[in-house]
Amino acid sequence: MSARALLPSLAALLLAALLVAVTLLLLGVSPTRAATGLLDGAFGSPLAITDTLVKATPLIFCGLAVALAFEGALWNIGADGQLIAGAVAAGGIGPRLASWPHPLAVSALLLVGALGGGAWGWIAGWLRARRNVSEVISTIMLNYSAAQILAWAVHGPLIEASRAFPESSAIAASARLQLYFAPSRLNLGMALAAVLSGLAYLYLYRSAWGFALRAIGRSPRAATFHGLATTRVIITTLVLSGALAGLGGAVQVTAITHRLYEAFSPGWGYEAIAVALVARLNPLAIVPSAIFFGALDNGAQAMQRAAGVSAVLVQVIEALVIIILLAFDSAAGRRLGRGLLSPATPDSAEVDA
Amino acid sequence: MLVARGICKRFGRTVALDRVDFHAAPGEIHALIGENGAGKSTLVSILAGRLAPDAGTITGADGPLRITPGTAHGVAAVFQAPLLFEQMSWEENLALGGFRRSTRLRPEALAAAARAAHDLGFALPVPGRRVADLAVGERVRLAILRALSFAPRVLLLDEPTGALAPAEVEQFLDHLGRLRRDGRAVVLVTHRLGEALTVADRITVLRRGRKVAEVPAAATNERDLATLMVGELPPPLAASTYEGAPAVLLSLADLMLEKDGRRLLDGVTMEVRRGEIVGVAGVEGNGQDALIAILAGLAAPTAGRLLTRGALALIPQDRDLDGLILEMPLWENLLLLEPLRRRFAPRYWLRRRDAVEFCRALLARYAIRAGGPHDPAAALSGGNRQRLAVARALATQPEIVVAHDIARGLDLAATRELHRQLRQYAESGRAVLLLSSDLEEIFQLCSRSYLMSRGRLRPLGPADRQAGRFGLMLSGAQG
Ligand SMILES: Nc1ncnc2c1ncn2[C@@H]1O[C@H](COP(=O)(O)OP(=O)(O)OP(=O)(O)O)[C@@H](O)[C@H]1O
Ligand SMILES: [Mg+2]
Repeated sequence: MSARALLPSLAALLLAALLVAVTLLLLGVSPTRAATGLLDGAFGSPLAITDTLVKATPLIFCGLAVALAFEGALWNIGADGQLIAGAVAAGGIGPRLASWPHPLAVSALLLVGALGGGAWGWIAGWLRARRNVSEVISTIMLNYSAAQILAWAVHGPLIEASRAFPESSAIAASARLQLYFAPSRLNLGMALAAVLSGLAYLYLYRSAWGFALRAIGRSPRAATFHGLATTRVIITTLVLSGALAGLGGAVQVTAITHRLYEAFSPGWGYEAIAVALVARLNPLAIVPSAIFFGALDNGAQAMQRAAGVSAVLVQVIEALVIIILLAFDSAAGRRLGRGLLSPATPDSAEVDA
Repeated sequence: MLVARGICKRFGRTVALDRVDFHAAPGEIHALIGENGAGKSTLVSILAGRLAPDAGTITGADGPLRITPGTAHGVAAVFQAPLLFEQMSWEENLALGGFRRSTRLRPEALAAAARAAHDLGFALPVPGRRVADLAVGERVRLAILRALSFAPRVLLLDEPTGALAPAEVEQFLDHLGRLRRDGRAVVLVTHRLGEALTVADRITVLRRGRKVAEVPAAATNERDLATLMVGELPPPLAASTYEGAPAVLLSLADLMLEKDGRRLLDGVTMEVRRGEIVGVAGVEGNGQDALIAILAGLAAPTAGRLLTRGALALIPQDRDLDGLILEMPLWENLLLLEPLRRRFAPRYWLRRRDAVEFCRALLARYAIRAGGPHDPAAALSGGNRQRLAVARALATQPEIVVAHDIARGLDLAATRELHRQLRQYAESGRAVLLLSSDLEEIFQLCSRSYLMSRGRLRPLGPADRQAGRFGLMLSGAQG
């Protein structure tokens, strides 16, 4: 996977920027004012920069989750649900860890979060591998289920002590990730995400499992013929993918929110699909890609203030990037299209004469 | 009418075509021959408008053509790896052809297809099957029917006969004769010189991207063509000489396989010993796939016993769909084979550098024309893909090699070289099981052979060797 492969992404970004600029001109808004506003909000001060990074962190976790699954032609649309599952698990045990020493409490929280997300991914993996249920459908349904479970939990079993607000009790102080750069909210979660992106790269391109995953993603028929264990790889991959997203949820709980509430995820798991596609599924490129999307999110308000254009414009930019990329990058587009049209793999072991 | 002038095409550093002139004239069958990687498929793709040339012009009956997919210009093509709607049923594929421009399955479209198939002597697949699940021969037959359904003025055929049964080939070539009488232009790529000489009016020879000859078929012969194509041919095979102990390496006892109430294998019994090349002749669809599936461990026999002594390597019939993963680099394609996977990914990590080096050596040793180990398999010509699939299997030094239609797509020299290698392989005390619909190949190469028909095996004796009887038997053997 070479850096050259990322050129279409850069071209798509430029083209999207150009289209938006033209639109703004037609609306009588200065594109430079909007762009400076956006950049200022995203990178204009140390606090703006760290906030961009904080916004990018869950996108990295979910982006890695998406990339890993997509490489195996497993169209995991469910990073959002998996992230929520991880967050619920972490937020659920968080308040009970008061007596634990800090490092242990944080590790336990993260581990539980990964397990929660992994379990959510496992459901989709099992359904796909054993029952040939399209993971596109199952993961979307599991997103809804996770959101509903979260809502139920914060209204019911996990509700905070006064029972006044639909949110969970705060996690124990010992389970909170320290903010070394206060008042900035930058935390070790970002570092963990970066390390994981390196590990994910090694897993995909340097390990035997990654090889099997990519082979199955490109030709389930040939992979089956040569005896690669497709069932196991499908399940393992969706578990790992879910665990990555779940870890992202746990990081959010331990470092930023310290508790659960109903609209916990603003749709990170969906935005992560864009993040992963722009990164061409290359785990190393997911970090800059997520930072780009984080910056858009972070700069949106400032842009609105500076240029008087709605913050929603950044969503238009994001959408344009994806559409342009899919339209011009035939390989990824075709594979995604193929996957969405007929997500269930043919049973290539079928014998007939 | 299609006239190409000065066509050039490069892929990176590979010059696939270098100032090639070519034409397809009405009422003429023009054979295009050449060694593996000579540029035949590239030229066909360019003529069909699937690939844009770097330089050169193509003129149709109504003047110069802009490169657009060809059916608009009355051009239809059967590509070497058939281009079909994989996720649709074969009936839908036909309905989307010229029979009827609609995805809805009108009975008349199917009836037209059935008539065309009947004219060609083609059997149609089981109703409703998805194209992605069809075997090579079925795919090629379907692609031919689709191409014909457009009633093209120019018909381009890239090695269509390699995947057809002998009896089918005969009828198919007859049909090409009829198209010629109708004033259509036909371009036929083939590795079978006899075929080119009997059916074609004109023969063009490509060699390393250059046109080295264009001659009327009547004015040439097989020897001259072979020399033009590849220079010296390796000598034909000498007789086999294994003198070790003939221990049994593979034994099948009364194998049965039933699926959906159909009996795919019916009491298959056979032994393959050290030093032997055992042949299984027969028309595709008589249980070969079932036998391969069992040997590959993809299906368990309903009854009977399978014993192997030592490692077994399979060379599948469909290199593009089963054998290789076209999107992956060559060196990673090697890792698909289990022994190589164990060698280059013994534990958790890929031993990347070793695998790449190994691949480089393999490419050199088996004269596979490729840019390098990092090229995707899709960049190889059809014949070179086949060579890679064979080289990969032999490189693992298995005790038993099971090869299915192993010479499909190989040029003359490569076929002889491969036969020599298989012979040598057996003589070194290992064994080869060869499934093929090419009887000449079976008789030339095998020490013993069987005929497979409707899931049963029967031994072939010297008396069966008369070609006439064989043609009959093979066509009659079709299920
Ligand atoms: N997409 C591609 N990318 C890179 N190289 C290619 C590509 N397609 C073809 N080539 C190269 O161009 C040359 C000609 O290939 P082509 O497929 O035309 O050969 P061919 O005459 O059809 O051979 P065969 O008899 O094996 O089918 C080969 O060296 C091949 O490796
Ligand atoms: Mg070819």
